[in-house]
Amino acid sequence: MDALRDELGSSDPLPPVPAMPPIPAPPARVYSPRPERSAFAAQAAHHTTALVGIGHVGTRYATDVVLQFQAELAVAHAAVGAELPEGWAADNGFVGVCSRVTSHREFLLRPDLGRRLSDTSLETVRSRCDKNVDVQIIVADGLSAVACMQTGKALHDAVVRACSARGLKTGTPIAARFARVWLEDEIGQEVNAKVAMILLGERPGLGTGDGLSAYVVYAPKLGNTDGDRNMISNIHLRGIIPDDAAERLAALASAMIEQRSSGVTLDLGRLGEVSGGRGYRAPQVRQRLVAGGEPT
Amino acid sequence: MILERIIPTVLSVRRILRADPALVKAYGGDPEKHTSLGLVTCDQDDAMYVALDEATKHAQVDVIFARSFYAGAAHASGRLSGEILGVIGATEPEAIENGLDALLRCLEHDACFYDADGKRTVTVFPHVIASLGEYLSKEAGLAPGTPMAYLVAPPIEATIGLDAALKAAEVRAVRVQPPPTETNFACAWLTGDLDACEAAAVAYAAAVVDVAAQPRR
Repeated sequence: MDALRDELGSSDPLPPVPAMPPIPAPPARVYSPRPERSAFAAQAAHHTTALVGIGHVGTRYATDVVLQFQAELAVAHAAVGAELPEGWAADNGFVGVCSRVTSHREFLLRPDLGRRLSDTSLETVRSRCDKNVDVQIIVADGLSAVACMQTGKALHDAVVRACSARGLKTGTPIAARFARVWLEDEIGQEVNAKVAMILLGERPGLGTGDGLSAYVVYAPKLGNTDGDRNMISNIHLRGIIPDDAAERLAALASAMIEQRSSGVTLDLGRLGEVSGGRGYRAPQVRQRLVAGGEPT
Repeated sequence: MILERIIPTVLSVRRILRADPALVKAYGGDPEKHTSLGLVTCDQDDAMYVALDEATKHAQVDVIFARSFYAGAAHASGRLSGEILGVIGATEPEAIENGLDALLRCLEHDACFYDADGKRTVTVFPHVIASLGEYLSKEAGLAPGTPMAYLVAPPIEATIGLDAALKAAEVRAVRVQPPPTETNFACAWLTGDLDACEAAAVAYAAAVVDVAAQPRR
């Protein structure tokens, strides 16, 4: 009976679906983007790349704002994922060293290993670096190898120039892979520098995967804390430009040597104008990463 | 779907443990032998005949009464009447239980009408019994264990179908009941070897489906 049933068509494929009548389009409800109406917010937005004064569409962000946000987040993710090539130090005239970290994943998970030199690197520092210098500068990847490769070399050279102008002797240029800030303590201690200065890629923010930070410490030694350090962040072309930063870092180093201290005990009031007071800051424009109509 | 199974509905199942001799005698049983009775009503008479025969194969029971009701389940006299009352009798209540088990299993999984036109307005019963039990073998005048095709359909479909079935395989008509039966169907019992019975039943069903689809060809 089953065979007869099949023969009569029970297992035939289903007939084609009848054509659907055209579905009327839903009533169009277009919200036009509304820019921020407050004059204060509009003014403030011109002085920052932060997400202020971006307007809204109904109760939501405008599409181009959302896309821009996602693109900026992608930039930050890519910067964290980037790795400093092993030959980068030698190619750019640095002495290459590495922390005790062996892989990028370990670098992200084990900050403690990123603060100490590996045994071979320690040998390298002892054998190849000048001792008893005024300022030991270290360029490092930190959390953004992109920033290190982009402006690390330029910032280093600018700082060396600025230090020489102030009569400070700088040490052998060092580039460190998988480095955290506190690595400067061990290196500075090994070369017996008065001041150690590490220039490293900072934790990426929205749209800024290329920012460098500089951490400066007087009398570097293992066991220093963050209270012993001074730092400048946001060193990139849309923030503090490298030449300005180099001037400030050199001033900071000479003040440390003069006052024989750093960190919270350093008197910044005596640094003067060069330390970057509350001067005028030119309006900033947010870098657009996605195509889209300008908000009207 | 054409030839979809239409599972029979069992409407009532009751037992009488010590039946009154007058009742047993009136229903055609032997008051000495058939002291326990099992009674079933169902909405498909031919499925019930096959199921009653199945019961005689599994337990020491006799079918003492089985009659279709006039005009079928669509015109039943009551909610529990259906199309047929079947009564099995035995000395031991245990045998009645075993017989009812086999009977209900057969109704649930084996014997049933099939939908011949996709709308259930024409149905067909092209059932093959591989091995006759005591009840139907006596009714048909065949030896127990013989294969038999039990073919039922409405009058015109049954007539065309019987002709097709008899020509399709090496089978012989044991009994042909022209319309109308009590339920206004027509019935035929054919025998032969098992393969022949199967082929005859398929040909019968195919003819019924054909007539249902093209009544005026």
